[in-house]
Amino acid sequence: MSNDQRQAWFARVMESGLENDIFAPSDVLAHATPDVLASHLPPELLSKVLAASLAAGSMTPERVLETVTPELLAKHLPHEVLWQCIAAAATRAGINKSVGS
Amino acid sequence: MHRRGRDPRRDQQVGGIVNLKPFLVAALQSALELGIAIPDDVIRHVTADVLATHLPRPLWARLLTACLGAARVDAALIVETIGVPSLCEHVPAHILWACIEEVGLRSLSRPSNAPPMSGSRPIPLVTPPPPPIEPKPAAPSTSSGPSIPTPAGGEPELDASLRGARIPPGQRFRTSTTGIGRLAANNNPRRPQAQATPPAPPPVTDPPTADASADRGGAPRAKRGQTEHDFDLETYVGGKDDWKNTLAVEDEQLVDWAAADETVTNGDEIGRKR
Repeated sequence: MSNDQRQAWFARVMESGLENDIFAPSDVLAHATPDVLASHLPPELLSKVLAASLAAGSMTPERVLETVTPELLAKHLPHEVLWQCIAAAATRAGINKSVGS
Repeated sequence: MHRRGRDPRRDQQVGGIVNLKPFLVAALQSALELGIAIPDDVIRHVTADVLATHLPRPLWARLLTACLGAARVDAALIVETIGVPSLCEHVPAHILWACIEEVGLRSLSRPSNAPPMSGSRPIPLVTPPPPPIEPKPAAPSTSSGPSIPTPAGGEPELDASLRGARIPPGQRFRTSTTGIGRLAANNNPRRPQAQATPPAPPPVTDPPTADASADRGGAPRAKRGQTEHDFDLETYVGGKDDWKNTLAVEDEQLVDWAAADETVTNGDEIGRKR
């Protein structure tokens, strides 16, 4: 598989997880921590996040994900981080039997 | 915005069964569409026993109908017939998640430039035959290059047609009734070789061999009564095709000719006449 395909799949899964409330933006930022974001997001994207937060007066996980969309998450962040977020949601949902939940 | 407005009631449903199915459908369907997963991955988890237990009878009827009408039954047929939404609707979520988990973990461990997974498409049982090759008449070839042997294992019909278009070895050499000429006239696949000992006195000329050379459009062959240098001059001046073909002789063959006793003997006479 190419990296584009893998990236597109992770973007789609992240988008679907957010749309279907499998996990919340706060759950995403629990894995995509500020350190992770700062390490992997390009400067222009970090600037947009900060500018949007300044304009709104606050920086919330929802607002961060308004700028850093699932496509951008899958493009810039390590997929392992995204997978940890997805797998943790599956565990919470009780469908990840391999974890022993 | 990828999240609907916060609603306390929805917060209670986070991870609940209500929205789990669409998530599984999206994850599994996109994995199949993007080539992250193949139908075999699905069937490895959603086994026939799982389908027998959880798939409703109408879907089983559709599946059986499709299988009976298909030339080949494989995982792709099953997944396409049932459909990912129906699979996710009826198969337990933990089984589907096990499939998605395997696919996701595999995608993390697989390098990005790895070759595509095999088995994503069923291989047809019968390879379509190649288009029929019309047998071409053996036209006289004007090519002066060396003949390239046909690869082993080729189709017999193709070999036959190509063999007819190839330059007979006899046209690339002096067509005399010497030992080498006889080898060429007989279409002997062995390369002509110089004789280690001087040739025996020339036998009586074989008329069919000379006729065959005239039929092939070559220069008239010298008969045993003529001298060798007269024959060489006639061949060199008169036959343009033979002159071109002579240039195409491989070096190894030229060396063999130079090593022949008759060539060495007549070389002085040729040089004197020029």
